Amino acid sequence: MDWLEEELKSALNRKEPSPGFEARVAGAARHQKVVTMPRRWVAAAAAVIVLAGAGEAYRWHRGQETKEQLMLAMRITGGKLNRVQMQVSGTRQ
Amino acid sequence: MRIIGIAALGCGMAALLWAQQFKFNLDHLAAKASNKVDLSLNKDMLQFAGKFLNSKDPDEAKAKGLLNGLEGIYIRSFEFAKEGAWSQADLDQVRNQLKAPEWGRIVGVQSAEDKENVEVFVRTESGKVTGIAVLATEPLEFTVANVVGNIPLESLADLGGQFGLPRMKAAPAKKKD
Repeated sequence: MDWLEEELKSALNRKEPSPGFEARVAGAARHQKVVTMPRRWVAAAAAVIVLAGAGEAYRWHRGQETKEQLMLAMRITGGKLNRVQMQVSGTRQ
Repeated sequence: MRIIGIAALGCGMAALLWAQQFKFNLDHLAAKASNKVDLSLNKDMLQFAGKFLNSKDPDEAKAKGLLNGLEGIYIRSFEFAKEGAWSQADLDQVRNQLKAPEWGRIVGVQSAEDKENVEVFVRTESGKVTGIAVLATEPLEFTVANVVGNIPLESLADLGGQFGLPRMKAAPAKKKD
């Protein structure tokens, strides 16, 4: 058995706690306040997150819709002007 | 309360008229149309749409570039299943609003082949182009567009032949005998 094994054995050896250890731990646990968030706050926070997500999704949807409208408007106007351009160029030639 | 409602309605109407440079009054055609497009995009909506345009898409990048000077785009376009759904009076009530000194007709083309008629009017204020009106009719189609804003005339040429539409080559001139 080398020195490392000896060291480990000594470090991991079972030791009895000092007298009154159990009472001290129980006392400390009694004095410690457990901080818990009221359920209504958890629900409110969840609602805010859901609403923010829904709002962002709606904004994205509206943005896509408006973009499609813009592209359609430009396609219609561009198409008509292209027609005019073609006719005018044809007349010039 | 009622007065506030009327005032709000008045402000809304005034804002709409201010944004749109002439009245369309074409609701009666909507009932007869088999297909219709009714678009009213004011400056805020254009800016909002601009945020969603993808610069990597060639068409959308082009549109984004044109948004800078635009104040609004208003379009009514109707397609009909049968001829005779729209009348000359419908065209005239729009055309009569596009008069000097604000408006000037810069070009009008007629195609005998497909009976298409397209007119382009430009609105100028202090030497600047502040709007364009396009009236396009075919036997089965009636389209009115008002593009509002300080649009450089060269953008007009850019607008045509873009957005997925092939730039059409002019037909060769017919040889005179």
